Amino acid sequence: MSAAQPSDAKRLVTLTVNGLERSGVAEPRTLLVDFLRHELGLTGTHVGCEHGVCGACTVRMDGEPIRACIVLAVQAQGASIETIEGLADGEALHPIQQAFREAHGLQCGFCTPGMVLAVQSLLEENADPSEQEIREYLSGNVCRCTGYVGIVAAVQRAARKLAGAE
Amino acid sequence: MPDRPEITGTLLQKPQYVGTRILRTEDPRFLTGRARYTDDVRLPGMLEAAFLRSPHAHARIASIDVSAAQALPGVHGVFTGRDLAAVLAPFVSTVAGRGGVRPLTQHAIPFDKARHVGDPVAVVVADSRYLAEDACDAIAVEWEALPAVVDPEAALAPGAPLVHDDVPDNNFAHIEFASGDVERRFAEADRVFSKRFHHGRLSPAPLETRAVVADFDRSTGAVTIWTSSQTPHLVRSLLVPVLGIPESRIRVIADAVGGGFGLKCQVFKEEAVIPALSKLVGRPVKWIEDRREHLAASVHAKEVISYLDIACTREGRFLAFRARYVGVNGAYQAHPWTALVDPMTTAAALPNLYDVRDVAYQIDCPYTNRCMTGAYRGVGRTPGTTARESLIDDIARELAIDPVELRLRNCIGDAPSVSATGARYDGGTYRACIEKARAACDYDGFRARQAAARAAGRHLGIGFSPYVEPTAWGSDMAKVQGYVASEIFDAAQVTVEPDGSVSVSAGLHNHGQGLETTLAQVAADTLGVRIEDVRVSMGDTAVAPYGFGTHSSRAAVIGGGTVMRAGTEVRRKMARIVGHLLEVSPEDVEFRDGAAQVRGVPGKRMTIAEIAAVAYFGGARRPPDMEPALTSTRSFDPHEVWPNGCVVAAVEVDVETGGVRIEKLWSVEDCGVLINPMIVEGQTAGALAQAVGGALLEELAYDENGQLLAGTLVDYLYPSSTEVPPMEFLHVETPSPVTEGGMKGMGEGGLSVTGAAIVNAVADALAPFGITITRTPLSPTTILALLREARERRAAPTAA
Ligand code: FES
Ligand code: FES
Repeated sequence: MSAAQPSDAKRLVTLTVNGLERSGVAEPRTLLVDFLRHELGLTGTHVGCEHGVCGACTVRMDGEPIRACIVLAVQAQGASIETIEGLADGEALHPIQQAFREAHGLQCGFCTPGMVLAVQSLLEENADPSEQEIREYLSGNVCRCTGYVGIVAAVQRAARKLAGAE
Repeated sequence: MPDRPEITGTLLQKPQYVGTRILRTEDPRFLTGRARYTDDVRLPGMLEAAFLRSPHAHARIASIDVSAAQALPGVHGVFTGRDLAAVLAPFVSTVAGRGGVRPLTQHAIPFDKARHVGDPVAVVVADSRYLAEDACDAIAVEWEALPAVVDPEAALAPGAPLVHDDVPDNNFAHIEFASGDVERRFAEADRVFSKRFHHGRLSPAPLETRAVVADFDRSTGAVTIWTSSQTPHLVRSLLVPVLGIPESRIRVIADAVGGGFGLKCQVFKEEAVIPALSKLVGRPVKWIEDRREHLAASVHAKEVISYLDIACTREGRFLAFRARYVGVNGAYQAHPWTALVDPMTTAAALPNLYDVRDVAYQIDCPYTNRCMTGAYRGVGRTPGTTARESLIDDIARELAIDPVELRLRNCIGDAPSVSATGARYDGGTYRACIEKARAACDYDGFRARQAAARAAGRHLGIGFSPYVEPTAWGSDMAKVQGYVASEIFDAAQVTVEPDGSVSVSAGLHNHGQGLETTLAQVAADTLGVRIEDVRVSMGDTAVAPYGFGTHSSRAAVIGGGTVMRAGTEVRRKMARIVGHLLEVSPEDVEFRDGAAQVRGVPGKRMTIAEIAAVAYFGGARRPPDMEPALTSTRSFDPHEVWPNGCVVAAVEVDVETGGVRIEKLWSVEDCGVLINPMIVEGQTAGALAQAVGGALLEELAYDENGQLLAGTLVDYLYPSSTEVPPMEFLHVETPSPVTEGGMKGMGEGGLSVTGAAIVNAVADALAPFGITITRTPLSPTTILALLREARERRAAPTAA
């Protein structure tokens, strides 16, 4: 979590999160994921490793999936961030969220927010991915619970839903 | 014996929900980021803690100077082991009632020396975690390095350096067992086969690390502890003697938990330290473990060295099993199960589903300068099964008997029976599951494909691993697994509220198993209400009746059983109210879809809401002797329950790179009555994937000086979506005669035995090279080394 030196050079970081402008205070060393979780109170994004391997902290920055544990909050100044909290439309789950539920694509739920956002990017890039393409795209998002069976099925289901076929 | 099961709960005659693939009711809050994990708890005035941990495997603390850390702005306190010992009693860990076990007294933070990389030395409380870690960096420790004890067998040898000065042989326990006349069987046998198998060191490594928030209230002397635990009541009970706070003043909350897999059914020293810090600084304190701490200092598991001998006839009939197990513990004892949780249960499962009456084993459990070992899904069975099943495949090759046939030849019959190690099997489909697995993987077709591939220079292999395994740990099961003095049960409360909706509260914990859904299915089918009208809650000791939490595949059987028992009482009470008001016999009242209906009289009907209104507020309309309120709390402590199954793995090994590609895994399981097949398959899939990691990828290696070589996820390799193969799940459903509802419990079998199936498949693929597999994980380097050794053996002139 910590960088080498403490710093009192705190600064105001302003960014757009899920379509709303938000500001908060960050040290230069503050990780984006800590800023989102603790400064802005968006605890849906999780931390599994803090070294860029597990994908639990995946959010989207200017439309691209990123690992918020290896990006500094100050680097996100002015950026547009999407987190899991922005996906559902009121009480209505997004089709990807629905598909995860219908295909039993989650168990403990800890990987789920990052996984769902990664899937959103996958399906934007490739609306009809093969099983192999799904597995390769998601290989940087670890799930310790599901064995990926339900996740792969959920992505296929979400693709059909988004194509209007389900 | 108290409260041993009489089966008293009943489902409705035509269950609507049990047995169906109902979608999980808990999902939306996880899918929307609304679930509350421990790190999501934020309290007014909350501070954060960080531990300074030892970089050395074994070193004396010559001096420790915290003054510079103390002086940093934002730091509220720096505490060493001695400081904490003033407010925290030590943990005393042992297996009560078991001879040959030497209890260990352990301080929350040691103060004389560090015994493994990651052992805590001091803890800082500061305004933020960032500042707490800065302060850790400012603590000056003068170390005197000591020789590290790393090799477990050397640890047991005379003259080895000591991990604990008062444990003269480094051995936590020596246990011996024998049944029948093992030595005679070995003397008489046609053939004796032997093997040493060294199972790799793993970690459950849930994606959410450990996490604790504590808020001690000086005005009441009460503490609330949020912790990422599978067993909130166990945390509460076991912290009483350590914190010195009465149980009624400790509230433990484990809301959302990001995976446990057994790791979080232990009670950790950090779970005592954080409440103590809150008491010392007078503010709430949070500690979130980072991944390095998790890999170095939570628990490791499954590293057991097995020496196994099997006596058998020429025809491959097993006569006797003999084993010596060395459970490779680290420096401490995981509380309360201790490091024996692996080797002791490994040994208890030695005969498994093989019909062998003559069985003997010995267990040693040495301390080494590594992270302590503890529970990980499929405790003990994973290493024991891998050792036994791989030796059985060696025997099949040696005797030229088909490995599936060899297993069928030695398999027990379906009727309930008692094993040589005293396990009371409740009956199953032991052979049928093996046969079903053989059919599912098209065994003959695979052998034909394998032969063709071999001719083309490709190496396919197939491996089987059948099993019967302990689930639903109640008191009987705990005892037969070696915890001879343990009493374990669970309780649940079922309440029909005044408006007719239903609340279920259980002492279990839901961290991915879908229990909110499955217990709602059982409750709805016990009461005859709609599942949407049931709300299940768990994880808060201030609300839930006492329980032992979710682990050991116990939640569906015991949770389901308690809910059925309590729900049946409530249903009977409702039937009496309906009978009284409509002037019919309560026996003629049927429940379905949230209403009571008098059998055969369509007009005579009351909704649950109407019944509840009478029960709570009906006064004289209630039957005269009846208390108001529709609620019941019941407990359940089942007899031993033993589901069975068989896993098959098909692999291809690349002999140039040493890479193993798993083509497919098949799991056949008979876990009795299925509450929700979707959830059962999800649990199986997860267990199979973890087994892929254990067999091929994951290893918490240490070097010869006790340095941990896998301190990050770059070195400790979780299986990713590209490494986990396609899987197929097949079910056999034989109701257990000894549980409420006939459920048998599941969730661990996949991890208990799939590693063995993979090892056997790899050995089968490489059979033409004459290799023998004696350890896991089977990394490419290991496979290439095996191939090289086999080549060298063949090239070398035969020894005289
Ligand atoms: S927490 Fe960012 S990748 Fe693991
Ligand atoms: S659902 Fe638990 S880590 Fe994926």
